[in-house]
Amino acid sequence: MTPDELSELAAGYALGALEGDARARFEALVRARDAEALRALRQYEESLARLAAEHPETPPASVKAALLARIAATPRGAASMPDGAISMTRPRPRRSVWTVVLAGALAAGIAAIAVGLTVSARYERRLEALGQEAAELRTQVQREQSLLAILRDPATQMVALSGQATSPEARARMLWHEKAGGLLVAAGLPPAPAGKAYQLWAIAGTRPPVSAGVFAVDAQGAASLRVPPLAGVARVDVFAVTLEPAGGRPAPSGPMVLVGKS
Amino acid sequence: MAASTPASSAAADLVARIARGDRQAFERFYDSHASLAFGLIRRVLRDRESAEEVLQEVFWQVWQDAAGFDPARGTPEAWLIMRAKTRAIDKLRSMRRRGQTFVAPLDERVARGPETRGDDPALAAEDRSLAQGALEQLPGPQRQAIELAFYGGLTQAEIAARLGEPLGTVKTRMRLGLERLRALFKADEA
Repeated sequence: MTPDELSELAAGYALGALEGDARARFEALVRARDAEALRALRQYEESLARLAAEHPETPPASVKAALLARIAATPRGAASMPDGAISMTRPRPRRSVWTVVLAGALAAGIAAIAVGLTVSARYERRLEALGQEAAELRTQVQREQSLLAILRDPATQMVALSGQATSPEARARMLWHEKAGGLLVAAGLPPAPAGKAYQLWAIAGTRPPVSAGVFAVDAQGAASLRVPPLAGVARVDVFAVTLEPAGGRPAPSGPMVLVGKS
Repeated sequence: MAASTPASSAAADLVARIARGDRQAFERFYDSHASLAFGLIRRVLRDRESAEEVLQEVFWQVWQDAAGFDPARGTPEAWLIMRAKTRAIDKLRSMRRRGQTFVAPLDERVARGPETRGDDPALAAEDRSLAQGALEQLPGPQRQAIELAFYGGLTQAEIAARLGEPLGTVKTRMRLGLERLRALFKADEA
């Protein structure tokens, strides 16, 4: 690929105008942390952010109120996780429709009290919050069902990870299935310092560690991370967690926090 | 490295705090950045209700995915704007698919292109209000390619078909346009 071709892909991607093969090609470069691709993308994205900043528009206060209500109604353990993670500290029972309704009503109630909206606005918000809660819970149920399927499969590996020098109190368990991915649940971890995040690695044989994702820790020191199937990774011999710059790194560079052999 | 203004690095600190579950930091980040995101979303989605919905989703993602923000990869502003763009364009495309939009939501002034706008002073005034600032300083075809994608949600292939130009030409215009924008903003800073 010539530099111009790379720049053209980056420009199209930053504008959201790539599709199909072109998009897949550029996303592969980003995943591989190709320095030139990232540099071009960063420049174009910054320019577009500057362009957008030329036309700010103040949103109505109701959007903020709805967001704060949604945050208040969502357990922090679930909200602090990257997408795809679930909370470990509160294993959730399968929810009935009525639980969904209750959770939504609670969110809407908090919203209304928080901002003292008019009665009609309150009902609008309530409906909106209900809809959102229901959608979230549906997603959650799907995730939990996929986890149950992993647990039932005899091919699933279960690996215990123990805390290393920096955090001897930390403990974690990793469930791993080569086709379905896996789940890490950890406890006793200190919150990552500013600008840092925990990163999970899968190591098979003598091959270099493969990143299995980045995660944060809740106020109780607990965390969980749902890991999708990893390309080219089947049976894993070692799982390890290191402390890395926020966003993660292509290869481990920071101190090892947890490690376990299968 | 990304241009790191003092404002951006303060915002990066807020995002790091949001990743640790700091609601106050989230509120402050929302207060200082919601109008930036909403301005873009409103340009993509004319429908106010949909725009508000998308804004809420974008900041919900901020709350949930703040740990994934990497200051080495860019400013929080760019991180936010890219999320806003993706969500707004997804919404626009799904509305188009479902035929929920009466008129093509793509701004017709954008779609007509710079060459055909003629000398009509009313249209010219509209043009100014549409793109005051950096975009206006771009050569017409580059500006048009950027607007059709960034505000109109069209893909490169759709833009090429719409303009009757080869795909390669559209790609080049996008690249040159974004490079020109970058130079303009850089000159601005100097």
